Amino acid sequence: MDMLLQILFSGIALGMIYAVIAFGYQLTFATSGTLNFGQGEALAIGALIGLSVVDRIGNYWLTIPVVLLAGAIYGIGVERLGVRPALKAKSEGWIMATIALGIIMKNIAENIWGRDDLKFPSPVSEAPLHLFGASVLPMEIIVIVGALALMLAVELFNRKSIYGKAIAATAADREAAGLMGINTGQVITFSYALSCAAAAFAGILIAPLTLTGASMGAALGLKAFAVAIIGGLTSGLGVIIGGLILGLAETFTGFYLSTGYKDVPGLVLLLLVLAFKPAGLFGKTAIKKV
Amino acid sequence: MKITRLVFSGLLLLGLALFPLLLPNPYYIHLLVVIGIYAILLFGLDIVVGYTGEISLGHAGLFGIGAYTAGIVFTTVGAPFWLALPAAIAVTAAFGAVLAMPALRVTGPYLAMVTLAFGTIVQILINEMDFLTRGPQGLQVLKPMLLEHRMTVVDFYYFTLASVLLALLVVHHTLKSYIGRSFEALRGSPVACDCMGVSVYRSKVLAFVMSAGFAGLAGGLYAFSEEYIAPSSFNFELAILFLLAVTLGGRKTRSGSVLGAAIVVLLPNLLSDIDLFRQLTVLIACLVAIGAGYAVLRTRTTLRQLTVPLVALAVFVIFAFTLEDIAEHRLSIFGLLILGVVYYLPDGIVGYLRALVKRFRPQWVPAHETIAEHGDAANVWSAPSCGAGGEPLLEASGIVMQFGGLKALNEVDLQVAAGRIHGLIGPNGSGKSTMMNVLTGIYTPTQGDISFAGQSIGGCTSSHIALRGVARTFQNVQLFGEMTAIENVMVGLTHTYELTLIDVVLRTGRYRRQEHEARVSAANLLDFVGLGDMHNEEARHLPYGKQRLLEIARALALSPSLLLLDEPAAGIPPADLPELTAMIRKIREHGIAVVLIEHHMDLVMGVCDRISVLDFGQKIAEGAAGEIQSDPRVIAAYLGGEATAQPA
Repeated sequence: MDMLLQILFSGIALGMIYAVIAFGYQLTFATSGTLNFGQGEALAIGALIGLSVVDRIGNYWLTIPVVLLAGAIYGIGVERLGVRPALKAKSEGWIMATIALGIIMKNIAENIWGRDDLKFPSPVSEAPLHLFGASVLPMEIIVIVGALALMLAVELFNRKSIYGKAIAATAADREAAGLMGINTGQVITFSYALSCAAAAFAGILIAPLTLTGASMGAALGLKAFAVAIIGGLTSGLGVIIGGLILGLAETFTGFYLSTGYKDVPGLVLLLLVLAFKPAGLFGKTAIKKV
Repeated sequence: MKITRLVFSGLLLLGLALFPLLLPNPYYIHLLVVIGIYAILLFGLDIVVGYTGEISLGHAGLFGIGAYTAGIVFTTVGAPFWLALPAAIAVTAAFGAVLAMPALRVTGPYLAMVTLAFGTIVQILINEMDFLTRGPQGLQVLKPMLLEHRMTVVDFYYFTLASVLLALLVVHHTLKSYIGRSFEALRGSPVACDCMGVSVYRSKVLAFVMSAGFAGLAGGLYAFSEEYIAPSSFNFELAILFLLAVTLGGRKTRSGSVLGAAIVVLLPNLLSDIDLFRQLTVLIACLVAIGAGYAVLRTRTTLRQLTVPLVALAVFVIFAFTLEDIAEHRLSIFGLLILGVVYYLPDGIVGYLRALVKRFRPQWVPAHETIAEHGDAANVWSAPSCGAGGEPLLEASGIVMQFGGLKALNEVDLQVAAGRIHGLIGPNGSGKSTMMNVLTGIYTPTQGDISFAGQSIGGCTSSHIALRGVARTFQNVQLFGEMTAIENVMVGLTHTYELTLIDVVLRTGRYRRQEHEARVSAANLLDFVGLGDMHNEEARHLPYGKQRLLEIARALALSPSLLLLDEPAAGIPPADLPELTAMIRKIREHGIAVVLIEHHMDLVMGVCDRISVLDFGQKIAEGAAGEIQSDPRVIAAYLGGEATAQPA
């Protein structure tokens, strides 16, 4: 029973990480109909930069703004180099382009930080707390709180501020928003900055729990896409629930089956959802117009 | 042109056949084998990427499945070589069918992610199922025995060459046939595809299964060529490499696939030598600079437009001369190459060369096969005889179509008699097009029954309904834009082919006869709608009005007994309206019933035998033209006012 609760906790923490990355996918998909296939690399860059900054200044909390900024810059770069030209040409070249940028980024990271996985110092005690009889790592609680706080902050920004209205308008109809004087190009760039900043933030959240390295992001990025799809690319609440489903499925598989198979349930779930309910469990099905 | 190509191919083949004799270096021979294997895979990948227009990141996984199937069947099971390869093809093709499942529901980025997930799962499974695959330590697969001795590299080279030629024959003949046309149509407009009786479902599954089959063959050959396979070989990078190869070489051409394969196989070898890499960089930079200078001189582009690529190129050259260890930057170079191809060479090398040649000798590089068949007056298109007409053909009763809270159609009954023209009018948003979509199976009605020629078609798929004899045109033109006019019509004629895959691949007499017949019928139909001189024009380049006429010709290709026309007069100049009217009458004379949605009242009143009027999803009137014109409810619906107003 205690073991079960413990798995439950790590599952929830992992699920929240997925939710944050998936949330990032939603942001850009809403404004531009595109998403960053190199999102996992944004996460790895966030974690690695965070590691370097922590080594310098020794304070985990002060690294957060640096990492958010680095993620935002990476997002702007991806949008400018990979997405904007393709959107202009109305082609699907952005898929290959964002993949290519991710590959380049990963290679650069490997050359700076090396190919080996590094240990990220935990900002809080690594001794487990005892909650309801289960041992829970304090970092896991920080992950859950941090992830929810970030998503809440972005949601509030989107709902309450005039800039958020611009994003919502662009998401609803890009051309009409443009005609109303909204610089939709800027909105898309902003959404990319926000999206990659979220991924980078997820990077420093998860880093103390796992190892940090240039290749830590690829699987996370892919599974976060599964979460975005399971929850529905249009549903904010959906990603949290999707994240929970996947995080729990994965930790339970890892515990009861084999850690080698832990990536499988998420990907199978992705295939199944897309094969039977492509709009996701919480998304709305679009009616095709002929 | 054809002869030049034949001579060129012959020489190339001769060169390849003599290669091991002229240069008996096993390393080079092995490289050629790998190029051949990749080329087979790319033929298959091109079906998905080039023809159906989807992005697959799962082909490395399929390749792995092929390799492991062949390896396991040959090594662990101990089956002979000639069984191992077909097994690899069959198993991989089956996995292709699995991959087609989500592909039926989603497209674009979704599908790209799905295929990526598929590839990742395959790699994990190969890694973990060590009882079958020996996991991370890999599987050793020796070359098979051949007449008492083990196959040498040279033997295997010839075997691969033969396989490539066979694959080339199969893929080329299939893609140039009606099957290839249906793949292309799928990309142009899936909805129209279904309504032409070409099931999107079947075409997509076939495209993925074929594509996977080639990947399986390539994988099987790879296992024997490398003699050792490990799960790490079939990773994400390989999937990207395949995509890069197919784009870089040039989509929708077989030469592009071969060229792409050659480049991606040779490139790492070139890149391993830093001096060679620098020379190549300079060479490419010079070529681009010359090209850019030429473009500026011809004022094709301004200097400003060229700044970004030129600066990027300069940075790349500096990068090439400052880096010391090329292996460390391999992935970056790979990524830059992809970016360069995506933005500056979207049609690949072959596409670029074709465009270049086209500027000087347009007749050398036709974008489409020119179809020269003409219609013959003695053999005009014919429809199944529906008798004298008048008996009920289509009966829809109590149709309700609900979208969320909105009832787009509310208890509508519609009866169309055989061989009659039935008008369907009503103000905008009254549910006319929704009715059309319900009748053709695009929407499944919330309630109600539809029967056609005495049999219920409620709940049938669009393609099924189309094959039963209901053809349609679309309010928003749904042509296969990148195909020529006659090819568009021939997609509608797909149902006339009664062939097996063997007929198609071998181009048997049966195939050639049926193809010729289809071409003549298509030409006849184009003549009928007045597009006789535009056979080989791309549909998207036709004027709007002509596109609508082409849609009619394509719909008639189904030999329907009921034709649904959704605003055929939109975009047609008023002067041509009498011609359209005459055409619709002539269609009726062939015994085909017509449902006509139209806003040109003089056209509707002039040709329709009977008219139904819809307003807010309800049928408010039905009758002959005269009755409708004086019906107060119809006047109220069109001009406003009380629906119960008394006639003056």
